[in-house]
Amino acid sequence: MKRILFSLLLLSAGFSVFSQTADEVINKHIEAIGGADAWRKVNSVKMEGTLQAQGAEIAVVQTILHKKGSRQDISIMGMTGYMIVTPTEGWNYMPFQGQQAPEAMTAEDLVESQEQLDAQGSLIDYAAKGHSVEYLGKDDVDGTECYKLKVNKKNGSPETMYFEIKTNYLIKSVAVRKANGQEAEVVTSYSNYEKLPEGIVIAKSMTLPFGELNISKITINGAVDEAIFKK
Amino acid sequence: MKIFLSILFIISATVSYSQATVNSSTFGMMEARWLGPGTMSGRITAIEGVAQDGKTIYVGTAGGGIWKTTNAGASFKPIFDKYCQSIGAIAIDPKNPKIIYAATGESNMRNSVSIGDGIYKSTDAGENWTKLGLEKTEHIAKLVINPTNTNTIYAAVPGPLWSSSKERGLYKSTDGGKSFEKILFISEDAGCADVAVDPQHPDTVYASTWEFRRKPYAFNSGGNGSGFWKSTDGGKTWKEIKNGLPAKPFGRIAFTVAPSAPQNLVAIVEANETGLYISADGGENWKKQSATFNVVSRPFYFSTIVIDPKDPKRVYRPALSFSYSSDGGYSFADASNEGGWVHSDHHALWINPNNTNQLYLGTDGGVYISLDKGATWSFVQSLPVGQFYHAAVDDRKPYNIYGGLQDNGSWTGPSAASGGVGNANWKSLNGGDGFWVQPDPNDIYTAYAESQGGNINRINLVNNKAVNIKPQQAPGDDKLRWNWNTPIVIGAANKKNLYMGSQYLYKSTDQGRNWTRLSPDLTTNDKKKQEQENSGGLSADNTSAENHCTIFTVAESPLDEKLIWAGTDDGNLQYTSDAGKTWINVAANYAKAGIPSQTWISSIEPSQFDKRIVYATFDNHMYGDHKTYVARSIDMGKTWTLLSSSEFTGFAHKIKEDPLNKDLLFLGTEMGLFATLDGGQNWFRMKNKIPEYVLARDIQIHPRTHDLIIATHGRGILIVDDISPIRNLKKETAEKNVVLFPNTPITLTMGQFGGGGFPSTGGWVAPNPPSIPPIKYYLKDRVSSGEVKMDIYDPAGKLVQSIPGGKRKGVNMIDWNLSMKPPKIASGGSKLDFSAFLAPMVLPGDYTVKLKVGDSVYTSVIKLVHDATDKNFTLQDRKLQYKTAMDIYKMHEQLAGVVDTINARQKLIKDNLSKVTDSSLKKMMIAYNDELEKLRSELLATKQKSVFADEKKLREEITEVYSGVTGQEAAPSNLQVQRVTVLQQEVKKKEKESQQILKKI
Repeated sequence: MKRILFSLLLLSAGFSVFSQTADEVINKHIEAIGGADAWRKVNSVKMEGTLQAQGAEIAVVQTILHKKGSRQDISIMGMTGYMIVTPTEGWNYMPFQGQQAPEAMTAEDLVESQEQLDAQGSLIDYAAKGHSVEYLGKDDVDGTECYKLKVNKKNGSPETMYFEIKTNYLIKSVAVRKANGQEAEVVTSYSNYEKLPEGIVIAKSMTLPFGELNISKITINGAVDEAIFKK
Repeated sequence: MKIFLSILFIISATVSYSQATVNSSTFGMMEARWLGPGTMSGRITAIEGVAQDGKTIYVGTAGGGIWKTTNAGASFKPIFDKYCQSIGAIAIDPKNPKIIYAATGESNMRNSVSIGDGIYKSTDAGENWTKLGLEKTEHIAKLVINPTNTNTIYAAVPGPLWSSSKERGLYKSTDGGKSFEKILFISEDAGCADVAVDPQHPDTVYASTWEFRRKPYAFNSGGNGSGFWKSTDGGKTWKEIKNGLPAKPFGRIAFTVAPSAPQNLVAIVEANETGLYISADGGENWKKQSATFNVVSRPFYFSTIVIDPKDPKRVYRPALSFSYSSDGGYSFADASNEGGWVHSDHHALWINPNNTNQLYLGTDGGVYISLDKGATWSFVQSLPVGQFYHAAVDDRKPYNIYGGLQDNGSWTGPSAASGGVGNANWKSLNGGDGFWVQPDPNDIYTAYAESQGGNINRINLVNNKAVNIKPQQAPGDDKLRWNWNTPIVIGAANKKNLYMGSQYLYKSTDQGRNWTRLSPDLTTNDKKKQEQENSGGLSADNTSAENHCTIFTVAESPLDEKLIWAGTDDGNLQYTSDAGKTWINVAANYAKAGIPSQTWISSIEPSQFDKRIVYATFDNHMYGDHKTYVARSIDMGKTWTLLSSSEFTGFAHKIKEDPLNKDLLFLGTEMGLFATLDGGQNWFRMKNKIPEYVLARDIQIHPRTHDLIIATHGRGILIVDDISPIRNLKKETAEKNVVLFPNTPITLTMGQFGGGGFPSTGGWVAPNPPSIPPIKYYLKDRVSSGEVKMDIYDPAGKLVQSIPGGKRKGVNMIDWNLSMKPPKIASGGSKLDFSAFLAPMVLPGDYTVKLKVGDSVYTSVIKLVHDATDKNFTLQDRKLQYKTAMDIYKMHEQLAGVVDTINARQKLIKDNLSKVTDSSLKKMMIAYNDELEKLRSELLATKQKSVFADEKKLREEITEVYSGVTGQEAAPSNLQVQRVTVLQQEVKKKEKESQQILKKI
């Protein structure tokens, strides 16, 4: 009898006082995406996919060599451009916007883009990377209950992340980017999580304000020629 | 045993969570469009800017929450949509501008003012908010932060307008808002109206107290509780300020301290002789100034006075109009209307402390910006915070919305327009305060609109001329009493019937040229509630807002034009079933269901399915009771059932029954929009881009488009397009993981609204509804693992399109442009080719849709039909267009094949050139590459250096005719068709050339 009462008490306590910390949310998430050990082994990522908008397709290839370089190639209407970020330089070459030669990134953009060099994602060993996190309670993302977390990045730009309670996957992020003196929010939704042979789980679908990017091929720790990070 | 039962209960409660409950998330992507407009905007109650940057500004509104700009007003976004929408005051921590306090519950105590639910705090510049407390204060006039110790905050709380309350007074927090202590309390009838801190001696605090009260039929400002106070110990002890001020009693006192010379104060003291007073010794002694009409006008409503942060002589008085003084308040001048009219009735002013020429003014009609210290102003056109009372729709394509707004007249605007619905698409119909507007269903050129107190006009929509058609007192009738918000109603059964009510109900069947009185006095005719001449208190205020014992709502049964319901503002709910010969009052019957008597009958909704069924909402807030009362009777009002829900907040304005599903009801209250799909047993709050505590005043469901149209009192018009998926959603359906909804036939079109041409140059622009009906499906839960994709097959079974699908919980929508996939085009050029984004529209027929969700596939068929009424684009035209477009499509792909082969060969040469040592071979390879390049450069643009130096080669020639033929709803011209043949020959020729070159090696 006492035991039943006690467990009932526990049950009700569980309902009422259970609270989260940022670390609990992050740990659950990292576990859901394969665990920190598996992610720490990631040194390079190459993702090939298509961005679709009304049947029109834009081919995107993203290559990241951990802490060394990131390159995005974009092919649109028969033309190809790229964006390169390294710890010291950044280049944009978007010929479809009329560019004739690669243009250097502004210092501000380069600082903001540094996180692209993190092939493991900002949450793995976030404190060592100089980020801080803040738990903001539960919130609703399009009707799905989530944990809400704010990650204050080392580079100064905050990102609010929403983790689906049911799966602990990151399903939405709101990053604040500075552009021409204005702060702009970039909202990304993540889905189609899939476990790779390397043990990590990756979102193969990302919905951006201008369309949906679907990844068709992912290569983890393949050889990456550092020459591709030169303009 | 009992314990086991309760365990069972807990378990079953937990289990029921995993079932699909229909709620706001079920609507999924069916989100509200914010139609705005920004044309007339709405009442602004607070403006605060960040001194450090001068361009981050927070705007608090009467019923639209808080809007933030980070660019000095070029664009705004709402940041308070999950909370109470009535804003009383905003304060920014002067040392850390990321810390923002927002006090809810506006204190411009007019009849239509809304209440708040306490103070909120954000520590990240408005992204996230936490409620701090003072939940029951209802109205908060001002927040002031001690500039030295910013954890010290003062909150001036006038408190409830409609009832006595212990919550009134001046509050102080010393811990950044975690707790508040009441430091000045006069009585349950007198609260604190204003507070100021001496910035140089922050323990010196000034406060004014105010005794005031509204009743449904009268207002009083003034009494013994009103006073002016000073403390020099941070509010521990207070001394009354009197010397030089007029004789008491006082009404509302607005005052301010000169920031740069804080011994100087200016005050407007409402009294038997209201005046402007100045003090040069910290409030010890006061001197009356010769104030203008504007300076002392309507003190209960205009409670703002501001002194320039740097110049103690520069005094601003935003009130009925905008006045400024350069001599410390001795004389005042008014702002000019050069550059445009400035809306009257001002409530907020922010001066950029680092550039005191730059002013932001909040009025009853939005925000204005001045760059010359208030002499001239320009209007901010991007704040869609209009305060509608009612909305109506017509049946045109696209349909128009009509409605009246608080202090902003009556307007009409389209539900869709080329390029989106912008401010310029709205048209003003009538002046004053606007309420009901009705388009005449039998005459597309006529609408009826009114200003306060039943001043109805018949408006010619073509030339905007108006004819006054207000019914007049007939011989033997009592003096007519018209509600401020007098009902104008078109018959639901007979659309020729036009109704209007004073205490009598009137009907016209000839557009208001002649009226028939249909009823005796339907109100209680309580004479004690009819002494409006005495309203106002110290300052007379009788603007018809206090008119009482009037008819407030009228409804004709959609099933019988002789069955008419009328509700009054003093609790009577009456009906006639013989077109007005006899009336039955059911007020006593609804009272038995627990609804207080004397309430305002705010809406009546006779059912469209059964004459005996009627819904009504009851508003008792003017007696201090803000509860939600909505009830249904199934026996002509004999007995009533109160519909209740723990979700409900705010007093009820409007109940709406769906025209097709009798169990689907919508309820609009002062604090939210609610819906039920089971006839009122379970209700949920509507969210989907609808502010959660929106002031939902009126609701319409368009009979043709099935759009849900919400008239809000602070967020303009909101539209949820085509609610039919929800209407048809059965509980069993909601339990399924995935449901692909059946589509009605879709007319083949490239879109209904046309392009905008010129991009928006500012102002509020609302997006259009989907131009082509989207394909809709339902997901019980969000899909986080696995792909969601829609493949579309033509009648022959060929895959024509593949589109990624939404994965959110509830209804998802996929836009298909009714076209196939664009062609593969020749790549490697130096120019964008838009053919890669353009595809022929498919032909009419039955198309199979396969929705893939993870490993499961759901199939349905969509019928695409040709619009046979379109004489400019016949079926024959369509077929010719398709054939021609496909011929060019194939040509593009043929050319792409040729260029691909050349590209591959050139790559081979490039990759191997460095490995070749033999110089003659090398030479040969280079020559061969040059030959390939020569051909390639004839096939597509390869040299274009700039968008301003157009290069046109074969691919571009093909694209010109391709985009001409494919991108329009018209048959190709004779020359377009001829051109195809020419280009086909050219491609064939080039293909041969390339084969010959390729053969060489």
